[in-house]
Amino acid sequence: MPDFDVLVIGGGVAGLRAAIAARQAGASVALISKVHPLRTNSAVAAGGLNAPLGIDDSLADYVRDIVEVADGLADVQIAQTFAAEARDEIIWLDRMGVPFNRDSKGKLALRAFGANSRKRSCYVDDRTGHAILQVVYEQFQRARIPAFFDCFVTSLTAGNGTSPAVTVLALRKGELELFGARAMILATGGFTQLYAPSTASLGTTGDGHTWAYLAGARLMDMEMVQFHPTVFPGGPGLLITEAALTGGAEIVDQDGNLLIQQKVLPREKLASAVFQAAQKSGRVLLDLRRLAEGQLNATLPQTCELVQAVAAIDPSKEPIPIHPAAHRAIGGIETDINGRTSVSGLFAAGECACNGLNGAGRLAGNALTEALISGRRAGEAAALYARSEHRREPARAQLADEERRLKSLVATEKVRGDSDTTLKLHTELAQLMDRNVGLARDASSLQSALDHISRLKERYGRIRLHNASLIYNSELTSYLELGSLLNIAELVTKAAQARTESRGAHCRTDFPQRNDSQWNRHTIVSRVDGAPYVGTRSVQA
Amino acid sequence: MEVTFKVYRKEPGTQTQPGRSDYKIELGKDATVLDGLLKIRDELDGTLAFRASCMRGYCGDCTIRANGKSCFACTTRVSSLTQKSPEITVDPVRNMPVIKDLVSDWDTFLWNKIDRIHPWLEPPGTAANGETIIPDSVMADIRKAMSCYYCGLCDEGCTVLPVDFGFMGPAALTKAYRFVFDPRDTATRERFKYIEESKGLWDCVHCFEASEHCPRGIAPTERIMALRDKAFELGIQNPRAARHHYSFADSIKKSGVLDEGKLAVESEGLTNIRGLVRLLPTAARALRRGKAPIPYIHHKSPGAPQIRRIIEKAEEKHR
Repeated sequence: MPDFDVLVIGGGVAGLRAAIAARQAGASVALISKVHPLRTNSAVAAGGLNAPLGIDDSLADYVRDIVEVADGLADVQIAQTFAAEARDEIIWLDRMGVPFNRDSKGKLALRAFGANSRKRSCYVDDRTGHAILQVVYEQFQRARIPAFFDCFVTSLTAGNGTSPAVTVLALRKGELELFGARAMILATGGFTQLYAPSTASLGTTGDGHTWAYLAGARLMDMEMVQFHPTVFPGGPGLLITEAALTGGAEIVDQDGNLLIQQKVLPREKLASAVFQAAQKSGRVLLDLRRLAEGQLNATLPQTCELVQAVAAIDPSKEPIPIHPAAHRAIGGIETDINGRTSVSGLFAAGECACNGLNGAGRLAGNALTEALISGRRAGEAAALYARSEHRREPARAQLADEERRLKSLVATEKVRGDSDTTLKLHTELAQLMDRNVGLARDASSLQSALDHISRLKERYGRIRLHNASLIYNSELTSYLELGSLLNIAELVTKAAQARTESRGAHCRTDFPQRNDSQWNRHTIVSRVDGAPYVGTRSVQA
Repeated sequence: MEVTFKVYRKEPGTQTQPGRSDYKIELGKDATVLDGLLKIRDELDGTLAFRASCMRGYCGDCTIRANGKSCFACTTRVSSLTQKSPEITVDPVRNMPVIKDLVSDWDTFLWNKIDRIHPWLEPPGTAANGETIIPDSVMADIRKAMSCYYCGLCDEGCTVLPVDFGFMGPAALTKAYRFVFDPRDTATRERFKYIEESKGLWDCVHCFEASEHCPRGIAPTERIMALRDKAFELGIQNPRAARHHYSFADSIKKSGVLDEGKLAVESEGLTNIRGLVRLLPTAARALRRGKAPIPYIHHKSPGAPQIRRIIEKAEEKHR
């Protein structure tokens, strides 16, 4: 059985950064990812990443913006530590070769982005995430870290005095293997495939959240799901960076009248404004023609290309229909500043983790910075933990059990008599979540969602698969991913039900006010007697 | 609309010949090829294997051929393929070994080739206190090179790879460009050791197919040419490539037209008996197919004197 000090699950920016840091801290490290790193969802981040580098900027300003957007739920100390480390991460990236745009003096160019009160987003045209992903992967390769790609984790055990272990389906070989480690870092990304449309790639299905939850870890602020305000809603949904807005684009109605005057808003508020405008006037459009002459192709080359490819619209000729769509999980596996979860030996970083930095709302441009800082810290902390930790042999029975479970999913009869399929159930779930647990929720929509989810779970249990091979069996992997999503749907809805107020990304139409006396707290979901239990935790000042 | 997908099938680890499965499905008018594949897997055949990730045309994972033309499954609309017939063929990309059905072996095809160039930047030894000061024009060029989605279409178009799969290929060489021309990298000479190895930099035949095939306009062939110029600038020369370049230039300068026979002989080197012997079968084939006129006389272009003056002017400028 492969055995490492630190095992990282997930090949996006956070996972790669964590692996590099753990390696540099002297640990033996390996990384498992279900897709190649350059195909991960980190590449969706377009607009930029923040650090207080401008001469008119300061740590205090940056922290103030984070805390304001977090709408009363930010753990301020975490925000301070985070803000103080942002600069070093960007300088590291610059040294390692990220081709950041430069100003006329050859220094890092900074742009206005979202609700940042200063120009503080470094960027690589409008494909910042992909460029950073490339460079962090390059440095991951430079560190010569063993990597297992096209490897799908099917189950995880941790805690209860055992070292963490995962069963891994190597898609190429079609074999199930057991991987153990002294410490494990989950960097499995978000879960916004739970909604449709969304900005998520196919694999953004909250796998890590589900394993952590089942292993007994606490999840925090799961009701906080950030919707991106400017998404073309056709097909799977296409994100158009907010940098377009700060660059001069306007949100207009059918006749070209401005619908939203104040564009420098937290995403949560802007998304809600676009949502309301859509309810009122039907079509909401983003007009990119209002960018200064020549700026469209120069500053948003990828946006132009993708809008043409996905929406079949030439943004230099006509405005693009937009609607808010699920973009990023704000809540996630509860961790401290070093990525430590409530289960010993289990760490989390990046989008799947939640350390209280973002509270109820996330500042645009913080996702990549957060992936890097939380990845590095989790890598270092996991390496340190592994050094002092005595390794225990994981239970081999886990492998045999898992093999049996996967086999039992395959239908015995050849004829398809089933009307439910993975894709149909997934579509139904995503539409339900968008309708009932989306930008606006209330007690009845949430209750009816919970009832519907429980019926979907039953129907899910009856689905039988028809592919007995394990080699690149995406019928199986997408089925397992849907299992994660159904689990998360329940957790998100339960947390949303508990929070009887509106704050940040969470808008309860039956409780439209922020209620500080009762709800200046994080929600915590954990598994008690096999079912989700929602509790709360105080916000650290 | 009702469409029939005729999909390439290959079962790994068996001796059975690859075949094709037909699937008749109902799709919406805006459906993409990926929508079709997902629906087939979900409703008709769970054994169909394919790759996909971002679903919006920026990750390069779902590169396939639809009706013979390479494309991204996620952004290619089915309606654009069914104008003539309600049947579409779906195949893996050319040049790429296949593991199962539409799942190509990216390791062999792309990632391992990229690994050969040591694809990471070697930063300066001492850590800088702040950012590196670099003009944006230099960064813009690197940004363009790095706008690569690793979709493999340049390697698919490459005319060397079908003949010699060991060739590094345009994608890996474009990746090398990204380091060689980045002022922050300190390993230029070392990097050239990796890319100059046999089946590397000098094996490109500059047919420009890579540039034609790149969906992002990165122009891999031009970047390979730039790497060769850089190699010459650093005094790194491959004798055969150098002879090829000199003979090429000399021929144009003297006659205004490329003397292909002379180019072949001079590229091998007049004293390189083994190399010259290797040319004989090609020469024989050319003779047999009437592609080498006898007697072999190289005619000057009527504009030869003007062409000569242009070249001399250019030489003057670069002296």
